[in-house]
Amino acid sequence: MPFREINSKVVEATVAPGRRLFSQRGAMLAHRGEITFTPSTAGGQGGLRSMIGRRVAGEDTPLMTVEGSGTVLFGHGGHHVQVIDLSGDTLYVEADRLLAFEDTLEQGTVFLGSQGGVRGMVRGRVSGQGLFTTTLRGHGSVAVMAHGGVIEIPVTPQRPVHVDPQAYVAHHGEVRNKLSTALGWRDMVGRGSGEAFQLELSGSGAVYVQASEEKL
Amino acid sequence: MFRLQSSKVLAVEMTGDAVRAKNGSMVAYDGDMAFRKLTGGGEGVRGMVTRRLTGEQMTVMEVKGRGTCWFADRASDINLVGLRGDTLHVESSNLLATEGGLRTGTGFTGLRGAAQGNGLFTTTVEGHGQVAIMSDGPAVLLRVAPQYPLTVDPGAYVAHQGDLRRSLQSGVTFRTLLGEGGGEAFQMRFEGDGLVYVQPSERNTIGGDV
Repeated sequence: MPFREINSKVVEATVAPGRRLFSQRGAMLAHRGEITFTPSTAGGQGGLRSMIGRRVAGEDTPLMTVEGSGTVLFGHGGHHVQVIDLSGDTLYVEADRLLAFEDTLEQGTVFLGSQGGVRGMVRGRVSGQGLFTTTLRGHGSVAVMAHGGVIEIPVTPQRPVHVDPQAYVAHHGEVRNKLSTALGWRDMVGRGSGEAFQLELSGSGAVYVQASEEKL
Repeated sequence: MFRLQSSKVLAVEMTGDAVRAKNGSMVAYDGDMAFRKLTGGGEGVRGMVTRRLTGEQMTVMEVKGRGTCWFADRASDINLVGLRGDTLHVESSNLLATEGGLRTGTGFTGLRGAAQGNGLFTTTVEGHGQVAIMSDGPAVLLRVAPQYPLTVDPGAYVAHQGDLRRSLQSGVTFRTLLGEGGGEAFQMRFEGDGLVYVQPSERNTIGGDV
């Protein structure tokens, strides 16, 4: 466990030789020991091609490489931090919500349009996710930021979960998501309940939801 | 059935019944739910007219269905209040959700509202059931007894229940006029027997800068 929660908004990470971390640039609060912070120009991993991919996708939140030996405290903007452990599955998360993650995780970018064509693209727009989102795959831990704390809701095949797109933080597992609209004539005449668009998540895994409708 | 999933997220288990919640405050649900904005927000045409006139327009939706529905709003802390036939007075901006069996109305609160900057009216909730109220930071519950009246900052007031009389006090002195005020020119005073919810934060109020 490289991440330890100090309080709801600060995590402590342990760095040792051979155990590097990536973190959002400028998110270091304090550190102990011999630690170097290098801006990671390649934007993480995956070489030049994925770097260009991220540039184009707008998912190129500046990252830095954290290496050496010691402990580092991370926190950013007073946001709540949630540590998510991955054991071989894939986490889908918006790049600007990533506070820090282990370098054992493989970083990638997915085009939402590839999951459900035009509807996928619309979904990205509505949820403010953009058309691309970041994926992290493998074994390791991720520290994710959210406004007002996060609750984890399990998704099982019998129990699909609907989420307000603005409160959606991340999901992992074998989860399909699609944008469902509950648009009625009421929304057209300005009498909507404010819940016209919902993300429907089905499959098996978990979804993380924040206690707020605000973006970071 | 209301339950706190965390200090900032309300979980409601529903079995075909309905709850009323602040418009757009749903963050997630499972099962089948239908969301409908309530016309006028109050009871019937009269409630609608009252709300229009008073400006106490809390936009409310009705959620009906089976399953679990989670509510949250701007990372506010949530407090559950159980009502057994008594009345809860709450700032409409602090009301998150009420169980279906509860009646909501608009109460005239005197000139206090003018100083508080959000009108002369607050929302009243009465009946039997649970209410979820929001506060900016964890709310403090203060007891008022006949021999112990309580004075609160209008910007920090969230809600009150019980047999309480409320009045506005002004602490304006010649110092305030000279710009040397203590920042607490207007205060709300509660007398009687009951409970007052106060948040550790102050809304912007007209009197707040004095």
